[in-house]
Amino acid sequence: MSKIVILGAGISGHVAASHLRRKLSKEHEVVVVSPNSNYQWIPSNIWVGIGRMKSKEILFPLAPLYRKKNIGFLQAKAISFHPEGDAVEAKPYVLSEYVIGEKKGVQEKVTYDYLINATGPKLNFEATDGLIPGSNKTYSVCTYGHADHAWHGLNGLIQEMKKGKKAKILIGTGHAKATCQGAAFEYILNVEQELRKHKVRDMAEITWISNEYQLGDFGMDGMLLSYNSMTMKSSEMVEMIFEDRDIKWILGAGVEKIEDGLAHYENLDGEHKTESYDFAMLIPAFSGHGFKAFDKGNQDITDKLFKGFMIVDADYTSKPYEEWSVQDWPETYQNPSYKNIFAPGIAFAPPHAISKPRKSKNGTDISPAPPRTGMPSGITAKLVADNIIDSIKKGKESLEHKGSMGNMGAACIASAGYGLTQGSGVSITTYPIVPDYHKYPKSQGRKLGKTFGEIGLAGHWLKLALHYAFIYKAKMKPFWWLIPE
Amino acid sequence: MTERISKYQRFKMMNPIIQFFKFIYLSIKIMIVVAGGHGGTREVK
Ligand SMILES: Cc1cc2nc3c(=O)[nH]c(=O)nc-3n(C[C@H](O)[C@H](O)[C@H](O)COP(=O)(O)OP(=O)(O)OC[C@H]3O[C@@H](n4cnc5c(N)ncnc54)[C@H](O)[C@@H]3O)c2cc1C
Repeated sequence: MSKIVILGAGISGHVAASHLRRKLSKEHEVVVVSPNSNYQWIPSNIWVGIGRMKSKEILFPLAPLYRKKNIGFLQAKAISFHPEGDAVEAKPYVLSEYVIGEKKGVQEKVTYDYLINATGPKLNFEATDGLIPGSNKTYSVCTYGHADHAWHGLNGLIQEMKKGKKAKILIGTGHAKATCQGAAFEYILNVEQELRKHKVRDMAEITWISNEYQLGDFGMDGMLLSYNSMTMKSSEMVEMIFEDRDIKWILGAGVEKIEDGLAHYENLDGEHKTESYDFAMLIPAFSGHGFKAFDKGNQDITDKLFKGFMIVDADYTSKPYEEWSVQDWPETYQNPSYKNIFAPGIAFAPPHAISKPRKSKNGTDISPAPPRTGMPSGITAKLVADNIIDSIKKGKESLEHKGSMGNMGAACIASAGYGLTQGSGVSITTYPIVPDYHKYPKSQGRKLGKTFGEIGLAGHWLKLALHYAFIYKAKMKPFWWLIPE
Repeated sequence: MTERISKYQRFKMMNPIIQFFKFIYLSIKIMIVVAGGHGGTREVK
């Protein structure tokens, strides 16, 4: 009998738990440890943030589902890792602390045979002075609670605009090394469309602020894509959309400080500037959770497990951008020191960025960190689950399932406005996610045809269809496993 | 405001009938890219 413990019940943790439970017999134990009582379909937060969806439409409680499916669930947060056990506990364990109920504050050693760390990112608002969701007129859409709050703030401003107030809206990244530009891109287009629907568009100046060097970089070094019968740069595509929607932009901006209605930033020329606003949605830096790890003798071995995020089978040798290769990226998400620990989704430490790193004239790093979107998070979680299942069934380590982001496609269906007949979406696929300049030297590291863009109503329908399909899948309804990650 | 997307392009982007076929086409195309498999990048030593 094996016990598999999964930390986190986001996209990757939940995907791993569902597949493990489906494919492993009942004698094996699957336990999820996560502080949030709900599963949330994060991509639809964008629509919560414009008041078009209620947060209850994008979440459901985990405990009843896990009870029904025979998946153990501890509503607790992982505190420290003990991959060799300790003087009294022979088995490896994760020290976890309950966050709710009678046991709130109680710490427990959760032992395991296999551990999947799917704790995603820490939303590191503290990294930017004054960036606190809901204060200083700044908001976030990174959780459903934040998105609810953002809609409250935006709606208040819309009502003021209806009374004649001219307003400035600022949307983008709130830190020089932030990632997840795609989510901010969706939000800015949705906000712009909502203002038109409320007939206050002419009262607002909307500005995109980002640490990207060029529009459409998305933390993926931009891309060359097929658009209709043309080959277009993603920067040209986003520029076309922004100009058409009258959205201004500030690029190469490392937001360093927020004050009430003021965003202070440094640009690549080393200038320190300030942008004023009445409403801002700024994505914070993502960081690791700061977990500590200890060996059997209680010595600190954090650097064997973590490099900010969790260390996996990537090549972490520091090298210049020109020498980066797809081979640097992990394939199995296994920790090299403790082979029964894995980290799919955002929880693994990437070998380096994907976008070309840039510094300001003052030496400040201003460029996007690498994104790990929902699709690769799901795919990497499933392959980790499959390798654990094979290892258990074969009685020896099996790592046949591999999935490097340098050999994996992803779709980004960015909502550009909500509405069954008036909605719009920008559908972009990339293959591979991490550009392979050796394989595709003439098309910026990606395969044209499989890397394409489309704009229109169909994109909105697609995003809505994915919302319903993925919530159906997450609820583990009949034949859920036929829906790909 | 610069009209970067022409009226005809916008009509095509927002016409529900054209977009219905686009929806089918995009669903299949995305499925091919995403469900088309994934793997490693390193040579087996
Ligand atoms: C607004 C927004 C929109 C997005 N839109 C898209 C999109 O359209 N398409 C797309 O592909 N991707 C999108 N993404 C990205 C996508 O949401 C992420 O890639 C995905 O959620 C990553 O999954 P994950 O499981 O690695 O992390 P998460 O989903 O963040 O899950 C982490 C889990 O770990 C838990 N956890 C945290 N700390 C602990 C702890 N100490 N112990 C135990 N558990 C812990 C959390 O509660 C959570 O359950 C979007 C992201 C945002 C913020």
